[in-house]
Amino acid sequence: MSNDTAPAGLNILNSMMGDNASQRLLKSSWRGLLNFFGGLAILFVVWWFGILLISSNPSTEHFGDFGPIPALQAMPVLWEEGTIQSAILSSGYRLGSGLLIAICIGVPIGILMGRSRRFRELSNSPFQLLRMISPLSWEPIAVIVFVTWNQAIIFLIAIASVWPIAFATAAGLAKVDPAWFKVARNLGAKPWHIITQIVIPAITFDVLTGVRLALGVAWIVLVPAEFLGVTSGLGYSIQDAREGLSYDHLMAWVLIIGAIGYILDSSCVMLIKRFSWHRGDQ
Amino acid sequence: MTEEATSFKVGESRPYRVLKSSGRGLYNFFGGLAILFVFWWIGGYFISINPSTEHFAAFGPIPTFKAFPELWSSGTIQNAVAASGYRLGLGLLIAIVIGVPIGILMGRSKRFREISNSPFQLLRMISPLAWMPLAVIVFTTWNQSIIFLIAIASVWPVAFATAAGLAKIDPAWFKVARNLGATPTHMMTKIILPAISFDVFTGIRLALGVAWIVLVPAEYLGVTSGLGYSIEDARETLSYHHLTAIVLVIGAIGYILDSTCVLLIKHFSWHRGDAS
Repeated sequence: MSNDTAPAGLNILNSMMGDNASQRLLKSSWRGLLNFFGGLAILFVVWWFGILLISSNPSTEHFGDFGPIPALQAMPVLWEEGTIQSAILSSGYRLGSGLLIAICIGVPIGILMGRSRRFRELSNSPFQLLRMISPLSWEPIAVIVFVTWNQAIIFLIAIASVWPIAFATAAGLAKVDPAWFKVARNLGAKPWHIITQIVIPAITFDVLTGVRLALGVAWIVLVPAEFLGVTSGLGYSIQDAREGLSYDHLMAWVLIIGAIGYILDSSCVMLIKRFSWHRGDQ
Repeated sequence: MTEEATSFKVGESRPYRVLKSSGRGLYNFFGGLAILFVFWWIGGYFISINPSTEHFAAFGPIPTFKAFPELWSSGTIQNAVAASGYRLGLGLLIAIVIGVPIGILMGRSKRFREISNSPFQLLRMISPLAWMPLAVIVFTTWNQSIIFLIAIASVWPVAFATAAGLAKIDPAWFKVARNLGATPTHMMTKIILPAISFDVFTGIRLALGVAWIVLVPAEYLGVTSGLGYSIEDARETLSYHHLTAIVLVIGAIGYILDSTCVLLIKHFSWHRGDAS
């Protein structure tokens, strides 16, 4: 997927240097900002116009609340109530714990897959089968196994995210030149040194790529997981707005989910670029 | 190497190697699954010997496998697969029909790509199930809203993969084609579509993965058919062996669909080095 989402703000800082290159950067960052806000403005105009057309028809008049203006007006209301902050906090906690568990389990599995051919070959069929079990179908089992809904949601996020991380780690390790291990062993590196000095720096890029994919999946799983049982979080807020028939709040939540997802994804892209050591990836 | 030495005719050695490697592949495939089932069986055994969790013994592999013939003869599996397959197929089809042209536009026009990036990234990161309340209001039937949810989840991977595929095409090809008098239709059918089919299938594979995640929770609500409903139904009737059987069916069908995509991707690959 093409992602030129590097925020333009950094480039503005660079322009302090004042040479030709930074002037070019400034110009390109202006262009980036223009495109960023121009694109969003077009989206909002299309949205506004669509709702205008729909609500001008008497039979669908009540859809007026779905427009962008009520949604944007609902945001300060929700912010002042503290609903946005607490929803982000509880969803963020679940997402963060789930991803952390997935990294702690997925990276070692990925290293094992990348280093041992026997393990990779044998684990392929069970892991592919488990990977293709839709995460939400674990939900009834998770609810029985775990005492609280919070734990069940964290489990669902972890089980959805562990596969992208494990497979990306294994793919990263496959790209490492085997000569490096030979050289390291010849220079007297212990297994511990090989892990910390070669494996981890080499695969950070791929692990982060896996974390980005995992984040995308976890973000999809989070909302339906929060539809059930819990009374906090982004998914619950959507369900709550729907049940309260407050469609302006509903659209505000949809926007918030998109915006937070965008920020998280862009942060991952920046981290990936920072840790990239393959020529041509930058 | 030693196998080649023992076979006297050179022509025999290649099929023999293929046979041997596929034998090894089959061995690994079933061996791996067998290990998974052994772990599962051990887990189920420990659950069944503990008095406080005894009533969950149906989660073990043996009750699950006994549930398969029951579910098959009652037609539950076939109906669920048909209903879910219809929704998944239609949703993916809509996503392809919308996503590929958007991707081609993103790949061909720099202006469109730059302007569309921020709104598309925002829309892409709206968790598909967050559209659910909206879809239920807009569409008259639950079936349509589920298809909409699958389509909106799958359209982004398809569009972005198509754009990425187009970006890899050598611009000289377009120049050569124009110089040889190709019309825009020729350009589309002779250059763009053959060149990007590999990437479109990569996008479809990603989209399938996402759609598969969205399908089950979407079917938890409202409908009374499909794989998601079967899970919910098994849970509500406390028939845990049916529950795990359906979970296994979901995993197996997902595996088959994903492997089919991988085969298609390999078939349409024209980049050297991607084929391996």
